[in-house]
Amino acid sequence: MEATGSVRGRIIAAGIFSLAVFLPVFFLSAQIAAREINRLYPLAWALFAAAAGFAIVYTGRVSFYRRIFFAVSALAFLVHFKLGLLNKIFEASCFKDTPFCHIALAPNFLIYLYQQYLAFMSGGWKLWGPLTLGAAWLFVTLAIGRGWCSWACFYGGIDDALSALPRRPLLRMGRWALKLRDLPAALLVFLLLVSFANMLPVYCLWLCPFKLTEVFMDAEPAVHRLQYALMMLALAALVIGPLLTKKRIFCSYLCPFAAWQAFWGRLNPFRITVDQDKCSGCLVCASACPMTAIKCEPGGKAEILPYCNLCGECLGACPSGGFRYTLFGLDLAAAGPAASLLTARHVFVFSALTLGAVFSSLWAPAALRDLVMLLR
Amino acid sequence: MPALFSEGFLLGLSTGFYCLASCLPLLAPYIMAEGRSVWKFNFFIFLQFTGGRFAAYMLFALLASLAGQAGQYALPAWLLPAGLLVCGLAMALLAGFRVTGVSVCLLRRDVSPFFRRLPMLLGFVTGINICPPFAAGFLRLMELADIPNGFAYFGGFFASTSLFISPVLLGTPWLGHRANDIGRLTLMVAGIWYMILGLKGLLYLY
Repeated sequence: MEATGSVRGRIIAAGIFSLAVFLPVFFLSAQIAAREINRLYPLAWALFAAAAGFAIVYTGRVSFYRRIFFAVSALAFLVHFKLGLLNKIFEASCFKDTPFCHIALAPNFLIYLYQQYLAFMSGGWKLWGPLTLGAAWLFVTLAIGRGWCSWACFYGGIDDALSALPRRPLLRMGRWALKLRDLPAALLVFLLLVSFANMLPVYCLWLCPFKLTEVFMDAEPAVHRLQYALMMLALAALVIGPLLTKKRIFCSYLCPFAAWQAFWGRLNPFRITVDQDKCSGCLVCASACPMTAIKCEPGGKAEILPYCNLCGECLGACPSGGFRYTLFGLDLAAAGPAASLLTARHVFVFSALTLGAVFSSLWAPAALRDLVMLLR
Repeated sequence: MPALFSEGFLLGLSTGFYCLASCLPLLAPYIMAEGRSVWKFNFFIFLQFTGGRFAAYMLFALLASLAGQAGQYALPAWLLPAGLLVCGLAMALLAGFRVTGVSVCLLRRDVSPFFRRLPMLLGFVTGINICPPFAAGFLRLMELADIPNGFAYFGGFFASTSLFISPVLLGTPWLGHRANDIGRLTLMVAGIWYMILGLKGLLYLY
């Protein structure tokens, strides 16, 4: 959906919006990054986030500029953390600490609960973490809910960026696309139970493609080979899958956190709503959705599945402009000069972009510093 | 005999949490996949599952007592991995049939008595799964070397551990089509997992 109104009015609205994004991002990024690096790096990152916000409001193209921001954040994570692990070319800093992987949070949740119970019962208060990690997750879920997977996840950015590269899909999944759409939820249920039964992070050991190492795997050769093969399969789903299908294959079919967030994301008020009167059943939205989260039969009506993570791709794809951001299906009834900014779409984009940018300031400014040092 | 029943019951009470963790990956996906929003129907599945466990426990009570009398360990080592393999295969087949919608007489719920009794097989496999509390009970029976007392001991163990497993029924009245769809895929993944575990166990032996 393209932006409407006079150029001057759009520039003013976009300027106010980008300033609203810039100020909290710079303040919090500087707080986080200034422990280790020059404040110019968080400043650059905050300016980049603000520029993305400006472009979204000025042009009205949510998903296009979101994807640029999201992909750069994921690339920065790869540069700083993963490449740093592989060849140790960068200086050690607190940013080199292994970040807690949010994907592991979902399949290992029962183990986590059990450990917290043990810590609670034994008086080991220092081990009791719901006030830190749990509170952070709750805050994210209340602020952007399922939007996490399209705006802030440092792994999802890889899948998302790669899915945008091919002009058209080389491989179509047909009816299997929807038949297997519940696979992440099934994996989540299975992993919760099996991880709990074995008291082991089964997902991390058997399936996670992001570990990029085999040091955690089983010592027994046959099991080791199987684990390695599954890791490679998941890596192929992450890298090759999107290039072949134009869909986020790993996020849609293998990520247990996506299913977890799809469930708990109901707590968040933001939704993408389709106007059924405008829907002609042309299937353009279903083809465009990178998460296979729109169900529609030819000539039928589009139905948004709970796996929608509010990326906004369908907003631009629908020829009759039938999709919009809402709060529980309702529009914000704002009036006056700020009415054009106080829409559900802008409130959501502000929340998601600001949160994504602040979260990624854990690595993005440092990645920029790494690149500058490398070029010197 | 009541004293031995209480002893087994107390052993089960103290270690029931472990039983819950072992049984859930087998029972929960099945109930999710095949359960209905009718509580009684799901309770019948649960009864079959516990029936399978009961049969396994009684078999063990018999074997342990006989082994005690003979002064040797009588259980074949391939039994558990083979059980897991068969169980995993049955779970994956059933799930594959449900997901693809392929209609094969052998696999149809209303036709095949085998798949109608799958919960019993699942219960039996979890019953023969040797966990530390179970091994402790087994050793106790070998020491007793008395079949009626063995039945009483494992009867108590079964009764108390079943209490821990019963909460699996709590959410089932809300099962709908969507939960069934997710459950079928979970059943397939769990089936493949148990097939791998079974094969791994057999490979270790030979």
